[in-house]
Amino acid sequence: MPKFTIDGNEYEAQAGQTIIQVAQENGIDIPHFCWHPALSVAGNCRMCLVEVEKTPKLQIACGTIVTEGMVVKTLSETATKGREDVMEFLLINHPLDCPICDEAGQCKLQDYAFDHSRGESRFVEEKNHKDKRMPLGPQILFDGERCISCSRCIRFAEEVAHQPVLTFVHRGDHVTINAVPAESFDNNMSMNVIDICPVGALTSRDFRFKARVWDMSFTDSVCPGCSRGCSTRIGVRNNEILRTEPRNNPNVNSYWMCDYGRVEMYPAVNEGRIDGPRMKDAAGKQQATDYDTAARVTAETLKKYHKDEVLILGSAAVPVEDNYAMLKLAREHFGKQTIPFISHIVGEDDRLLLKADKTPNSMGATLAGCVADGHYPHVHGEKAAHTTVLELLRSRKIKAVFALGDNFLTDPQLLEAFEHVEFFACHAANETITSRRADVVFSISHWAERDGVFVNFEGWAQSLNPAVTTNYQVRGRDQLNMSRLDRFGSPYDKWARGHKRDAREGWHFVQLVSNQLGSKWHYLHTEQLFEEIAATNPEFKGMSYESLGSLGQPIASKHSMVKEPIYQEVYQETGAPLMGSGN
Amino acid sequence: MGYNTKYNNPSTNRKLTLWEKLYLPEVIRGLLTTFKHIFRPKFTRQYPEERWDPPASFRGRPVLVMEENGSERCVACGLCSRVCPPLAIEVRASETEQLKERYPVVFEINMLRCIFCGFCEEVCPEEAIIMSKDYELVFRDPSEGIFGKDKLLVPKAELKERLDFLAEMRN
Amino acid sequence: MVIEALIKIAIVLLVVLTAVSYTVLLERWVSAWVQDRIGPNRVGPLGLLQPLADVLKLLLKEDIEPMMAQKWFHWVAPVISISVAFSVLAIIPFGHSLTIGSTIIPLTIAPNINIGVLMLVALTSVGVYGITLAGWSSGSKYSLLGGIRSSAQMISYELTLGLGLLSVVMLSGSLDLNAIINSQSAGLWNIIRAPIGFLLFFVSSFAETNRQPFDLPEAEPELVGGYHTEYSSMKFALFFLAEYANMITASSVITVLFLGGWHVPFADQLGLPALAMSIVGILGFVLKVLGLLFIFIWVRWSIPRFRYDQLMNLGWKVLLPLGIVNIILTALEKIYLVN
Repeated sequence: MPKFTIDGNEYEAQAGQTIIQVAQENGIDIPHFCWHPALSVAGNCRMCLVEVEKTPKLQIACGTIVTEGMVVKTLSETATKGREDVMEFLLINHPLDCPICDEAGQCKLQDYAFDHSRGESRFVEEKNHKDKRMPLGPQILFDGERCISCSRCIRFAEEVAHQPVLTFVHRGDHVTINAVPAESFDNNMSMNVIDICPVGALTSRDFRFKARVWDMSFTDSVCPGCSRGCSTRIGVRNNEILRTEPRNNPNVNSYWMCDYGRVEMYPAVNEGRIDGPRMKDAAGKQQATDYDTAARVTAETLKKYHKDEVLILGSAAVPVEDNYAMLKLAREHFGKQTIPFISHIVGEDDRLLLKADKTPNSMGATLAGCVADGHYPHVHGEKAAHTTVLELLRSRKIKAVFALGDNFLTDPQLLEAFEHVEFFACHAANETITSRRADVVFSISHWAERDGVFVNFEGWAQSLNPAVTTNYQVRGRDQLNMSRLDRFGSPYDKWARGHKRDAREGWHFVQLVSNQLGSKWHYLHTEQLFEEIAATNPEFKGMSYESLGSLGQPIASKHSMVKEPIYQEVYQETGAPLMGSGN
Repeated sequence: MGYNTKYNNPSTNRKLTLWEKLYLPEVIRGLLTTFKHIFRPKFTRQYPEERWDPPASFRGRPVLVMEENGSERCVACGLCSRVCPPLAIEVRASETEQLKERYPVVFEINMLRCIFCGFCEEVCPEEAIIMSKDYELVFRDPSEGIFGKDKLLVPKAELKERLDFLAEMRN
Repeated sequence: MVIEALIKIAIVLLVVLTAVSYTVLLERWVSAWVQDRIGPNRVGPLGLLQPLADVLKLLLKEDIEPMMAQKWFHWVAPVISISVAFSVLAIIPFGHSLTIGSTIIPLTIAPNINIGVLMLVALTSVGVYGITLAGWSSGSKYSLLGGIRSSAQMISYELTLGLGLLSVVMLSGSLDLNAIINSQSAGLWNIIRAPIGFLLFFVSSFAETNRQPFDLPEAEPELVGGYHTEYSSMKFALFFLAEYANMITASSVITVLFLGGWHVPFADQLGLPALAMSIVGILGFVLKVLGLLFIFIWVRWSIPRFRYDQLMNLGWKVLLPLGIVNIILTALEKIYLVN
């Protein structure tokens, strides 16, 4: 356990730690470009130069192992001068096209140019010109002029994505990065290099030029793409999601997320939404209606059937609270002990982040008391004891179905079996094959529009936050993550008039239907449901939205899996920029 | 010390002479002053007929500079939108094949909100949004007050005076 | 006689109403000139149709009656104001008399009133009721303050007005306005014979007509318009008309009392026929009134408003003693100079 001093204060380090690691742990910010806590040390940007006593030259903090009695000075004149000189070198060939660059506002080079640079250029010669719009992979465009050759992307491709196709080419000031000939960086993790690039050299084809960082409001959320449930941060402008980025959560996803979760999940929130409840009229055409009518019709129709003729379906795509409410309804009015949900196992695990289970909450649904349907491959819970949903439907015993939000009719077998269902009420956020089949559609809020808890496959519970507002849900439970436009815009401004959908969290509708059936539920907020779950379900014992915080908690039986978050306080690689979160 | 102390403090009030205290002579003096003004040349500008050509330093409505090839100089960096105190500016960017790879697909200034402060011009790194001499802004409907690129883009040649002024005043 | 009177009323009313609206135009012009501006010049040639536009505008406005207003009084107040302002004109002789053929038509609506001066004072003092009523019935604190100020001011300055008037009565020895005019026929107008009386009467007239620098009842910066704050449309227009009609009345009265009425100096030496003399007389009268109107307006755009205590000081401590002294001086003048 070597003890040493940084800027006059004594710190204790683990054996083998580098100066920068100890500094980050203790909240001392040493500027750096190439060093990343989850990647190997390259030491090629030279930005983290510090003065170490008894060494003749400045040392890089990322590559120097702490030894007993070492005296490190980060603020001495030599160290400051060294960093200023490094910045000057880095900026020699940098195009300084911040107005165009997407990274502006969250750019390390920009920040350090303010903090650790002379603020003026002595370079009057012609800058180097390099390739500007070179695709490195299907999702990534590379701008050679902006690149500062830190090699983070190269190391990421090799060490994390296990696809070592990126490399430096040329030498000296002509050095640039390229993919190996005939190869392309098409890994499912490829877009993480955009996040870790300290400058704007790597840009996302998906997001390119959509918005400035400071125009968006950023809200912590959870990726609904698979049962991994990566911690994410959602960038919203005009009530429209523009991008998703990973958030460091050592227990779930470290610093990364997959491209699938990043680009395929959020468009569903923006487009193809069901805006307000619908009901089929006599001609079989869906017409807009109001919630009370929809709930009354659902309740009255369900009542007409015998309890065994009614099928209640849970869902692994919606949070624990909705499943809990649905199960409660099934128990109170239809005498069921448990309700099935249909798993969506597609493909295989990619052994990095992406799981085969493409629903975020199958573990949560199981914990809430639902059972994975036996007909489909599933990973959690017991096989349904008696008959599967498909068998039930094919036996024509089922006359009415009430389902939580899940697009399960994508399976043609189920769709065919549904022909004999006389009444089908479902929750749906998007226009899907399932919603089109339904007689009553309740328009529910998407994951990005609501509160709720997802439990991932390992048993790690995380809470959602509303990032997009609906007519019934205002953004932000704890604090309002607002951009300047949100804060000062009025509803009469064109740009602040983002479309608000007429949608509610799923349990609202369960409660409406249940109360029509005779219950006296009176939940006002999702949090009340979760409090009830935490009080009754031992797996969620002691949990609350507050205790879940931004990083989540393990369920009771998985307490052993907790990893202490490191660098969380000071090091947020993809953190929401100050300008975006504040004014 | 307040700015009006001089007038509120009795000790600094001027003592009036007897002649002035008589009041009437001073009233007549005042009347004569105003009478003289009746014959002075008038300052009134017969506006719709006589128009004012503002100097280059005038801050009229903000406009976008259109380059000779017809494209906007603006790269849609959004700094004007960010700095705009009344949030009058909306910029939406997209990609173009030109050397400056970013351009505004939508550039709208809500002229009902604009306060003509000129911050947008000052913050613009490309000298793409500048204050023009146009001070005649009339709308019959609030929606007319939102100026899109069609109204904002003005050829560079017409803005030469202001651009020269800026070049001179910067640095 | 009745028909003759009716025709005269119609003519005078028409002329005065037109004159009132053009006085407003004159006011706007003079204010513009004093401030180095041009003034209204857009409606019609030289802006001469501006009064028409103003009236049209006022007519088309919504007539608002405040919730807290006393409805009947609110309605009747402007009527009192305007009728008093016009009724004074009934006793003003505009000219000598018109001789057409053998009939002699006196150029007064109500001729041969031998106590014209008393009538004048009586009528003008009724005018305060209109303003006070308006102030009280509007149900607004600004209006109420305006009304109260108005009554206090009118009472204070009515004394001075009367004292100024008295000197004229003393000099001419009659209460008949025609007699007063005739007493000045020698070219020796009362303004020369009783300069202090003129000054007192003139200053008090400003106060009685609520003109600057005595427009405290409607002081815009403090009272947002004072007694007429809550008036709009035609009811406001009546107050507006009344104010300018009062100006014309006051100018006419001053002309009659101090400026020799219709007498034009040296006109009788031209040897003109009677009809022409009458017309010259009327023109002379109108010119004198116009001159006075100009002074009214000119003063307004030159002299700032008094503070209320200054107004009262001036009225009670300066003008009133001056008036009493003036009576004595006039009496002495009458005894030693005139006789």
